[in-house]
Amino acid sequence: MKEHGQLMEIWGDTVDRRHLAWSIAIGAVIALAGFLIARVLLRQVVENQAMAASYAMLVGLAGCLVAGIICAKLFAPKRVIVEEGEDPSWRESAMNELATETGGLGRLADLPPAVIAELKDVGLYDTFAEHERRAALADASPSTPVAGRRAAAAH
Amino acid sequence: MESLLPDILVAFGMGLLGAIVFAGIGLVSGTDETTTLAPLTLIVVLMGVPPAGVFTFFLAGAVAKHMTHAIPTALLGIPGDTLAVPLMQDATRMRNLGVPHVALRKMISGAIIAAFVAVPVSVLFAVLLAPFRESIVASAPWVFLAAALFIAWFSPGRWSSVMLLVPFVALIIALQAGTGRFGVKLGISYFLGIAIGPLVADLFASISPLEKKRMMRSEPRRFSLAPDIKGWKGYFPNPLKVLDRKQTAWTIATATVSSATFVFSPVAMTVLMGEVVGARIKHAYHRMTTVLAARNGVTEATYIAEALIPLIAFGLPLSPVAAGPAAPLFNAPPRFTVDAATGQVNNLHNLLSHWEFLWYGLLAVALAALVSYPFAMNFAHRAASFVSKKLSHEAIIATFVGLILVISVWEGGVLGFLVVLTVGLVGGLLNRIFGFGTGVQFMGYYTAVLTMPAVFKMMGI
Repeated sequence: MKEHGQLMEIWGDTVDRRHLAWSIAIGAVIALAGFLIARVLLRQVVENQAMAASYAMLVGLAGCLVAGIICAKLFAPKRVIVEEGEDPSWRESAMNELATETGGLGRLADLPPAVIAELKDVGLYDTFAEHERRAALADASPSTPVAGRRAAAAH
Repeated sequence: MESLLPDILVAFGMGLLGAIVFAGIGLVSGTDETTTLAPLTLIVVLMGVPPAGVFTFFLAGAVAKHMTHAIPTALLGIPGDTLAVPLMQDATRMRNLGVPHVALRKMISGAIIAAFVAVPVSVLFAVLLAPFRESIVASAPWVFLAAALFIAWFSPGRWSSVMLLVPFVALIIALQAGTGRFGVKLGISYFLGIAIGPLVADLFASISPLEKKRMMRSEPRRFSLAPDIKGWKGYFPNPLKVLDRKQTAWTIATATVSSATFVFSPVAMTVLMGEVVGARIKHAYHRMTTVLAARNGVTEATYIAEALIPLIAFGLPLSPVAAGPAAPLFNAPPRFTVDAATGQVNNLHNLLSHWEFLWYGLLAVALAALVSYPFAMNFAHRAASFVSKKLSHEAIIATFVGLILVISVWEGGVLGFLVVLTVGLVGGLLNRIFGFGTGVQFMGYYTAVLTMPAVFKMMGI
């Protein structure tokens, strides 16, 4: 593992402090130099001075992109990306969360056929059916569907 | 350029350009609408692109970005931008159920349908409101003050945001007087400072020993990238088939309603509409997918309406979006100007007719749909993986630092940069500590520029 002593969270993501300092310098120098040099040159060529400055700004923005690309090449992201597989325990906990929410899981019987087909398509039909059965068993008492939902909601 | 190409071709070309550029930007999570849309639209305005091209560039960009930012939201579990925050809970549930690709498809299909609804509805509302233009413009300074107070109260900071308007407005007046001594009048630098504020505040904090401790991390952030499964044949899926009938109906209904409420914050409308829809659907799976489609549709529709209605009806930036990301459509001196004292408006409002707004608006949405929708449907996983593995946050910050410097120095030399730095630092800190959001700050700027002269006049100063 690499040394992570300089990591810091800035503007919503992690960066390395030294890399960040370099990036700021690279971004500032390339963009600003691009803009200022282009402005000097373009003012000699383009008659309308305001337009010359606008074109120079475009050069400066190209400079921003170049700086961004350079920094992307120099400094790797400080993120760990995990390619997820299926994790049955997550599915289970998500189902339990849904059951306790206002409205509860609901009943498959209430769904129009198109949604049933969609659920089967994405492979969730059995999961929902199973949980519905379990919820019904849990309120083993003479539970009407409404009472069952209420019980689930109060859970 | 104007005389050589017919407007429609310019509109087409600029719309396509906007869609492609912002479809790419949308993939980078955390890139706020205001920090990216506003400066790039501004450049397009200042380059002298004909009005139709400016309009399609902005709108196609906004819609395209909105669609691709659903990718990090659904697959990585990080909000694509501030508008995506209300969708996080359901999106995360869907991820945990193992079907993030379904969440993504429902979201962007809702968005595309809502966008096509929002454009004509917005134009219609604007036409209905247009007769009130005279009286609104005549009392513009007070309308802006009322809007600022209203938007402040609805921001996360509530009463503190309302109170903070006073020192913030004072700061802007002071800065303007300061640069005025050197004969420099700035506008864009203030917007840029407000938009980029959170970054500026974080950068200052990062070098303070006190704040540094809070910001240091012991290890890189972990993201889990969910798998993507293609569920249809061909390249261009039909959004009406991705959503079932009920979902389409809810999306259209909520998009229509939220298009009418253009003065509210898009985030608030999104939360509210989601609750309304969710309460009416019994089954959990159906509820999640429908709410995701409707909510993403609402963010899309509110966004479009907030930009279009004030623009078409009044020509004054009277909503959070109009004052922020869409600001250059209203005010981009020297080309577009708003003068509250005289009610003089010279911007897209008087350069395009109602019909042109409608047709070019639909063209922009169609272009964004053509570029962004199939891209997000087909390549979501690969794109998210590429961005998160190859594009470091340092590189993004480098790009933004360059952007801040170039635009501020272009507008006002060293003084422009000082204004961006000052406004950015103060605004960013007020945002972080008090919840004085960027939308309120934009309205604060307009209060300083448009309302205060009238107040001073009334007080005889």
